[in-house]
Amino acid sequence: MADVDAARRELEEALGTAEVLSDPLALTLYARDASMVEGGCALVAFPRTVEDVVTCMRVAARHGLPVVPRGSGTGLAGGATPIGDALVVVTSKMDRILEVRPEDRLAWVEPGVLNLDLANALAPLGFTYPPDPSSQQTCSIGGNVNTNAGGPHCLAYGVTSSHVLAVDVVLPDGTVERFGSEAPETPGYDLRGVVIGSEGTLGIVARACVRLTPLPPAVRTMLLDFDTVKDCAATVSAIIAGGVVPAAVEMMDHGIIVAAENFAHAGYPTDAAAVLLVEVDGLPEAVDAQSRAVEGAARDHGVRTIRVAQDDAERALLWKGRKSAFGAVAQLAPHYHLHDCVVPRSKLVDVLSGVYEIASRHDLIVTNVFHAGDGNLHPLLSFDRRIPGTLERVLSASEQIVRLCVEYGGSLTGEHGIGLEKRDFMPLMFSDVDLGAQACVRAAFDPEGRMNPQKVLPAGARCGDFAMAKGMDAAQAAQSIPEGSWI
Amino acid sequence: MDLIHPMDKLEVVQALREATAERRRVLIVGGRTHIDKGEPCEVDAELWTTQLDALVAYEPAEMIAVVEAGMRVGELDRILSEGGQEWPCDAPPRATVGGVIAAAANSPRRLRFGPIRDTVVEMEVVTGDGRLVKSGARTVKSVTGYDVHKLMTGSLGTLGVIVQVALKVRPRPQARRTVRVAGGLEVGRRLLDAVPNPAAVLATPEAVEVRLEGWPEEVERQVEAADRVEPVSVVADEDTFPSERPWEASAVVAEAAVPPSRLPELLSPPFPDLLGPHLGSWGALLGVGLAWVGLSSSHGELGALRERARTLGGTAPAIKGPGGLGPDVPSGLDVHRRLKAAFDPAGVLAPGRFWGGI
Repeated sequence: MADVDAARRELEEALGTAEVLSDPLALTLYARDASMVEGGCALVAFPRTVEDVVTCMRVAARHGLPVVPRGSGTGLAGGATPIGDALVVVTSKMDRILEVRPEDRLAWVEPGVLNLDLANALAPLGFTYPPDPSSQQTCSIGGNVNTNAGGPHCLAYGVTSSHVLAVDVVLPDGTVERFGSEAPETPGYDLRGVVIGSEGTLGIVARACVRLTPLPPAVRTMLLDFDTVKDCAATVSAIIAGGVVPAAVEMMDHGIIVAAENFAHAGYPTDAAAVLLVEVDGLPEAVDAQSRAVEGAARDHGVRTIRVAQDDAERALLWKGRKSAFGAVAQLAPHYHLHDCVVPRSKLVDVLSGVYEIASRHDLIVTNVFHAGDGNLHPLLSFDRRIPGTLERVLSASEQIVRLCVEYGGSLTGEHGIGLEKRDFMPLMFSDVDLGAQACVRAAFDPEGRMNPQKVLPAGARCGDFAMAKGMDAAQAAQSIPEGSWI
Repeated sequence: MDLIHPMDKLEVVQALREATAERRRVLIVGGRTHIDKGEPCEVDAELWTTQLDALVAYEPAEMIAVVEAGMRVGELDRILSEGGQEWPCDAPPRATVGGVIAAAANSPRRLRFGPIRDTVVEMEVVTGDGRLVKSGARTVKSVTGYDVHKLMTGSLGTLGVIVQVALKVRPRPQARRTVRVAGGLEVGRRLLDAVPNPAAVLATPEAVEVRLEGWPEEVERQVEAADRVEPVSVVADEDTFPSERPWEASAVVAEAAVPPSRLPELLSPPFPDLLGPHLGSWGALLGVGLAWVGLSSSHGELGALRERARTLGGTAPAIKGPGGLGPDVPSGLDVHRRLKAAFDPAGVLAPGRFWGGI
């Protein structure tokens, strides 16, 4: 049984009373993240140093408390929603950029540094940190690392994992290990690669070494609008098939265009069925060549107008509409549920029409704003949860959307994570053997199972089952071989 | 030495079940091009993956190719070129896809295209005790579950047999050019700063080769930018980069990895004195921090190089010839051992081949 009082006293002594919260209001505030799931916790701690994080881990281990790491709490899958007698370790006060070394193309940062603050600090030096989730003004690098976060510019530049060279991780027993290094190769298995995206279930990332990417010499942002969603989505595939990988290709459907325009006044065409926001970058010559290819693909698919941002102000305005879309939908209904799943790019049209159909069957408003270039959908269901029966309809529609994406050869989540929300959908993609192997990876870092329990893996997945399973013959094994059927 | 040459995944499953039951130690072999990387280890059998060579799925508009791991890199390149794309690994054509991934082999174009691990989005692997495990997804982005495929990339066949992968591929550039400039690391550094977005800046003791890829007009501008630093000559062969790899003639090639700014300390004098007269040649990837160093043997020279790499925060495994990985112990050794025990419970997969005696 966890001894919460003893843990609180020890943490207060080590971190200072101001850095440990246990009053009912605080426990309620930290009982959830930005998802719809509500949990509960016993203590909240705010470490300021790596040593503080070690203390948190040791105290939790001594007194049997589960540990839930938390960055800015912007996660949408319940990954930072604590359960039971958890100690929530909030890294938002570890917010220093420790070192920027352009000559090595790297920077060391604490986990609480906000994503946009990092990008803004690097820009004067001619560098950037490309992953740019829509929440970049508030989300932290630590949270980004734990969810392997994406963002519009990951199409050309890759997700968080491609931009984090090393992580200093405090393991559940309080030891600190550096996985990855400042050098391009590191002795050992790629534990860095496993920690990134592990949703706080392997340890606490107490420092991260990020890779610096030179800012492109030129950028062009274009808004393309279409009469049909089908033409818009087909343009995305045509651009890629034509050999162009733009920096970003974002799609917005009619409902989002109207809501975003009301909010941002970006001059979005509110009579369009869908728009694409396309950004190309590189040398001016490359920008010209890519723009021509994008415009050609769009014309082949009946684009109505092509608006090219003439200056930085117009470019910022076009992006403002996109990045504030999730706030702007508050006009539609008081609550929303934002999905995140990925499908092969060529299936976008089919999956989108399926999403509209599911929403209509459940009598819900659905709008779509998403990373079309990646095939990363973000269907957004708007509703009023105070109306009886609504939440049930939302959950039913959500499940059907997830199943639809997987049926089309997609993935449960592209950037938000599994957390609590999608944990029980994991068997849609993975066999018991697959999940057993994943449980072993987790147990290798956290043998006692105290890090962020009940997240990511469904209740049945056990490392022991994987290691001890036997007697499966070759015929049974054959059945577990998935068909290569996505084309 | 026994030979296991499975026809399909099922036979791999069967073979490793038997190996585990009989405690028979197995070395996984692809195209044998990266086989030297690793500590020496004794095995009872070799398992060749080369018959697992099917193309499973490829749709250029998805920029993803799914192949069995025994497919040769040359064959994959031929298939992808028909779709106007490439998998930028730059390994020898007879190398297998699985071997390149298991060895985490580095492309000379890593500056632009990143490490090989960034291109693997889905994997099927057969564990040491014969279990078929899948991770990842056939989409360019996925954060569903733990990335077991990251563990396998660079694991040198000590955790499982990679049997199938989905790879992120990319458009072939419209124009490619290699320009050559006289000079060494210092000129290379100036070129790295001056030329926008090069695919590679590779310095050797006497010259620097800059690889430029992109749209034709873009490549023109890049050539001009390089020429402003030092007069350039254009290397005729557009297909091969670098135009030559003199270090590969040496009996031993080490792949030193240090923080990028430390390359001059790694390679500049007194380095040759330190290593004696047998130092072959080297090629260093500016902005990346990798250097391929040719050595005449795995004796004192390799130890000296490793010691210097270590003091600079890096490492230097041999990738050709004897020499092994070196004495470095991975951080999180307990985690490593638990992973090995879970994925290869009987310890039949190339025992001792990996870092830290794993």
